Amino acid sequence: MSLQSALEQLAAHRIKNTRASQDVFRNGLLVLQKKGLKKLGDDGWTFLEQLTLASIDVGRLDIADQCLQLIADKFPNSPRVDCLTGIRIEATEPPETALKYYADILEADSANAGIWKRRISVLRRTGKVEKAVNELVQFLDTFYTDVEGWLELADIYATCNQYEHSLQALTHVLLLTPQNPFYMLQAAETAYTAEDFPLAIKMFLTVVDMTDGDDSEQLLQESTPLGITVRAWFGVKLCARRIAQNTNMKSPSNTSLPKKVELLDELATERLRVAYSSSGQKGEIAKGRQEVFAWVAAPLA
Amino acid sequence: MDRLSLYLDPQIRDWVLFPITLVMILVGVLRHYVVVLLQSPPKKLSRAATREQRALTRSQILRATSANSPIPPSFYKAISQNLSEAFKAGTYLKDGPPKGDAPPSAPNPLSDPAAMDGMMAGMKTQMVMMVPQMVIMGWINFFFQGFVLIKLPFPLTLGFKSMLQRGIDTPDMDVRWVSSLSWYFLNFFGLNGLYRLILGGDNSADASRDMTASPFAAMGNTQPGQPQDFNKLFKAERDNLEFAEGLYSWVGENMETKILRKYGKLPYDSK
Repeated sequence: MSLQSALEQLAAHRIKNTRASQDVFRNGLLVLQKKGLKKLGDDGWTFLEQLTLASIDVGRLDIADQCLQLIADKFPNSPRVDCLTGIRIEATEPPETALKYYADILEADSANAGIWKRRISVLRRTGKVEKAVNELVQFLDTFYTDVEGWLELADIYATCNQYEHSLQALTHVLLLTPQNPFYMLQAAETAYTAEDFPLAIKMFLTVVDMTDGDDSEQLLQESTPLGITVRAWFGVKLCARRIAQNTNMKSPSNTSLPKKVELLDELATERLRVAYSSSGQKGEIAKGRQEVFAWVAAPLA
Repeated sequence: MDRLSLYLDPQIRDWVLFPITLVMILVGVLRHYVVVLLQSPPKKLSRAATREQRALTRSQILRATSANSPIPPSFYKAISQNLSEAFKAGTYLKDGPPKGDAPPSAPNPLSDPAAMDGMMAGMKTQMVMMVPQMVIMGWINFFFQGFVLIKLPFPLTLGFKSMLQRGIDTPDMDVRWVSSLSWYFLNFFGLNGLYRLILGGDNSADASRDMTASPFAAMGNTQPGQPQDFNKLFKAERDNLEFAEGLYSWVGENMETKILRKYGKLPYDSK
């Protein structure tokens, strides 16, 4: 592989923020060997940071140390380098050493967001979930706009079966990124798991509304649901069933029951059938079609 | 008018025009580097101060989507009322909620050391700008007063006389001749483009920009970095929150009807 294409791939990974560590490491090593660092100019430092993280990921700590040394010499006292050093410590040292290191930095600069987040992740990793949640809540109280933090909090709550709390954290994510259907879907699924079916079905329908491509020319009835829209339709179907089984259920969030549940169920069934009828271009049968057809055909109540 | 009544000695070009221009450019570059050296690294905010500064964004984010909010009513109300209570009680204030019945006073910029630092930094850059410009102007005034340096290649109306012939009091001279002091001012205001080429976009070589921003003008209106009375801001934000709550509607409220209509299961006109 040539230096040029390696650099291009690395830049693409940087932009998309993908964690393809093996790939990054292979390309990065090539760049280092071919002395491409000078060619990169100011981009070289972000490249070194990327390579450091990747080589820690794949366990080549010698390369990581080498890169880290280069960066640390160029930017002493940089909070970003501190963060990298912390990650390097986490890789080999016991968690207590890392926590000590982070605590020292936070002592000097209590509002260092990166270090604070690392500390929370170490706490969670070592099983001190309660402490991690406390810290994370404090962190989010200070840095409200950190979507990653809110998602992490929702995840921690979900792993502890605290779905209502998880949903609460997700509402903040929704407020921060109201245009992202994936988070809406996650919130809908969390609401479903928390057994708030009226809320869940409306959220699933919102996901459908966000993703069904109604800005294209094609008639909606004739279009095929794709990607997360299919998943949202599954959710609608599941919720509609639950609601049909118990028509006077109470929603914990006081969401009113949707009207015309039968129609919704019918529509979801139809959409799922369409989704599984026409997978692929050559008319091949979608995987799991039989099962889905049998499932959607099952009676409502 | 006799156009060729003046003949400029080439020596003037070599020993006056070029030196003035060169000195001004070099002083600008020097000033840029001195300002870079003088700049202290941004002060690190404490956790509480960061929290105070960012508290307003919370309600702003909540309000931004309130007319078509992605979150259901019970959650919205909970967040909104929580914020409102916190703003009222002053939970987000850096020094904690105000105690007792002592009236919360607006922070005095002169007593707050952090604010003083910011002002001193402004004064320092001002001085770096003022001193060399005063020296150059004195130098030009002392040595080259009344010099005519160049002739513009295009005619101008009489209105430009005061701009181009500062320091020469002749009513009859053609406006196209530029005096030394005017050349200084033209450079003073016009070199920014050149600095941008030499030093990059956000250089601090251009002196004319700083002229408009005096360090004392910043005291009246609140600038970022200047002390703000967050207590007052929070109180005002409560009204906004209330207003947004009135506007609030959940995007998912009638989503089932919307979807059913979209997919032709329900006719559009019926409610």
